[in-house]
Amino acid sequence: MRSALGWVAAAVLLSAVAFFLSGYYNDVYRKLLLWIALALSYNFLFGISGQVAFSHFAFYGIGAYAVVIFLFQLGMPLPLAILAGVLVCSAIALIVAIPSTRLEGFYLALATLALAQLFIVVLNEGGAVTGGTGGLVNYRLPAIFGVYITGPWYTAVIVILVLGTYALLRHLDRSWFGRACRAVRDNPEAAAAMGVNVARTKVIAFTLTSVLAGIAGMVYAFVDNTVNPPIFGLENAFLLLFMVIIGGSGRHAGAIVGAVLLYLLPFVLSPLIGHHHALVFGALMVVVILLQPRGLIGLYDRYPRGQKAH
Amino acid sequence: MRKWLAALLAAVSASVVAQETIKIGVITDKVGPAKPYSEPTLEGIQFGANEINAAGGVLGRKIELLIEDDQGRPDISAAMARKLVDAGAVFILSITLTPATQQQQNVTLEAKTPQMTPMNSGDTLTTQLQNPYFWQTGPLGSIQIATLLSHARSKQLKRVALITDNSDLGQLLAKFFRAGLEKSGIQVVAEEVVPRGATTAEPQMQKVRAANPEAMFMAGVLTPENVLILRAYRQMALKFPIHSSYNLSVPQYMSVAKGLLNGITFVDAYDPEKPEVKKFEADYRKATGKLPYNIHGYGYDGIKMVAEAIKRAGSTDKEKIRAAMQSLEFSGVMGAKGMKYVFPDGKRAGFDPNGMVVRVYEGDKQGRVVHVGQK
Repeated sequence: MRSALGWVAAAVLLSAVAFFLSGYYNDVYRKLLLWIALALSYNFLFGISGQVAFSHFAFYGIGAYAVVIFLFQLGMPLPLAILAGVLVCSAIALIVAIPSTRLEGFYLALATLALAQLFIVVLNEGGAVTGGTGGLVNYRLPAIFGVYITGPWYTAVIVILVLGTYALLRHLDRSWFGRACRAVRDNPEAAAAMGVNVARTKVIAFTLTSVLAGIAGMVYAFVDNTVNPPIFGLENAFLLLFMVIIGGSGRHAGAIVGAVLLYLLPFVLSPLIGHHHALVFGALMVVVILLQPRGLIGLYDRYPRGQKAH
Repeated sequence: MRKWLAALLAAVSASVVAQETIKIGVITDKVGPAKPYSEPTLEGIQFGANEINAAGGVLGRKIELLIEDDQGRPDISAAMARKLVDAGAVFILSITLTPATQQQQNVTLEAKTPQMTPMNSGDTLTTQLQNPYFWQTGPLGSIQIATLLSHARSKQLKRVALITDNSDLGQLLAKFFRAGLEKSGIQVVAEEVVPRGATTAEPQMQKVRAANPEAMFMAGVLTPENVLILRAYRQMALKFPIHSSYNLSVPQYMSVAKGLLNGITFVDAYDPEKPEVKKFEADYRKATGKLPYNIHGYGYDGIKMVAEAIKRAGSTDKEKIRAAMQSLEFSGVMGAKGMKYVFPDGKRAGFDPNGMVVRVYEGDKQGRVVHVGQK
């Protein structure tokens, strides 16, 4: 009961922020929240399950495009379009994941990189279905019970997405499944000897996190009411990886810290040092990896704290 | 005493009003893929704004440019549009990637803020979204292709080769070229692709040579790969003429493809013999000590048109500026001699379909105009 109240309080507080922000800050806040949701699910895939996959951001795009195509080209009602989007993401994730379980490390990275690239090619060549290089525009979120959700109210939807993602992943992480994922990451042979089905664990982790990215993409599709190929470009897959590494791979808090830091860095630095923010980004990456391989959350762990009262 | 104070206060507030600037937003790309185009366009805008301010500004007020970098990312681009709207910009100039400009439009439509791209060439920017607050004054991609094909027809070509790279845009342009050539009854006897990152284009050029074309069309947009094509062409001492897409009008080629360019024709929107261009080049050189290129002209025309629209609106009311912009007729630096940007019947793409030219490289310099329009 107390924890349920805590979640509600967090949702109210994080949503309330949006009502005090101007158009610009609200937009930055919304996109930051989406990056946090992505970093959280990618952290589960990369940090906790140990799968080096570059397809996560592509699934974000698949979700975004799928919901728009189902809603406005096939004329589905919203709940059905969301369900169909989830099914598409799950199906593509399974198609990639099942053969990929035989691959690991470098080879999995290559296979998922290929998927991410293929996705961009399909978007550019998709004709009227994907809108080609121009993407899809000129749509808006349909009314839900006669109400159009816009402005800060839509930010509240994103807050629910982030908290829902966090709650689910935190619960999974602490469950049998989370421990199985960590065991598979650290030593697949030992995990198998302990009765963990290694292949199945990998496939479930990959599919689940990919679907979570897809759902985040569906929410993104109505932030600017535009989807186009450069938004889902390959460089974002690397940015996501850097967020998790810099924050602290395998830790939810680390993913959040990494996402906030790397997403906001150009916004804060650009007015001060112009385009040299890219240089600061590179230097930060090198320094953190060399000096703090456990990520910035490692600094927090080392910080001496008072003994807890018994 | 009181009267004095009141007079003083009135004078102070009047000078504050007089000094209040007209804010014009610019969204550019300083680190992403549009940078080679965005940077000179921005320089053109800044030069134009300085010129306008030196001549007394607009409506007695100075122009202030609010410049934001979108890192070539469409989602950040939309956030920057919101930032400019919040900061009180009465007009936004978009000089970044086409999809980024598209994404900003959702913001300008919602905030009813006039927006213009003076350089994007995407054909669908004014058609995908019915946004009465948006205009495009850069030449559309389809105009570029039609102009080059009209030049090809004037040469009575029958058999040509087509070469491109494997970038998305390069592939797309090649597709349009092929369709246009075939429609004009010109046979494409060889079609080659030089992949990104290639170290030589000789195998492709040998195949082109074997097909014995009367001319070759270049549709690629990757500079290093285009240089490889030109190098192979020179090394094999080939004689058929090369007609290139708009990409070869980028000034960078004059330094990276030295000795390879003489005689190559390319499509452009800039005529060095036009009186407005001569004046622009002289003034720019005087002010900055550097010679401007064609791309600078896009930014210069853009800011001049915005200033003209505000002047005609007679106020900074965004609705009045919108109406003034839609009815604007303007001749600037870009386009063939005598070309005017016009927006008739609610059309918002203002570059004249017959306003592009085909130019030829003379030595390593972008030279004279050899063909005008698409008739």
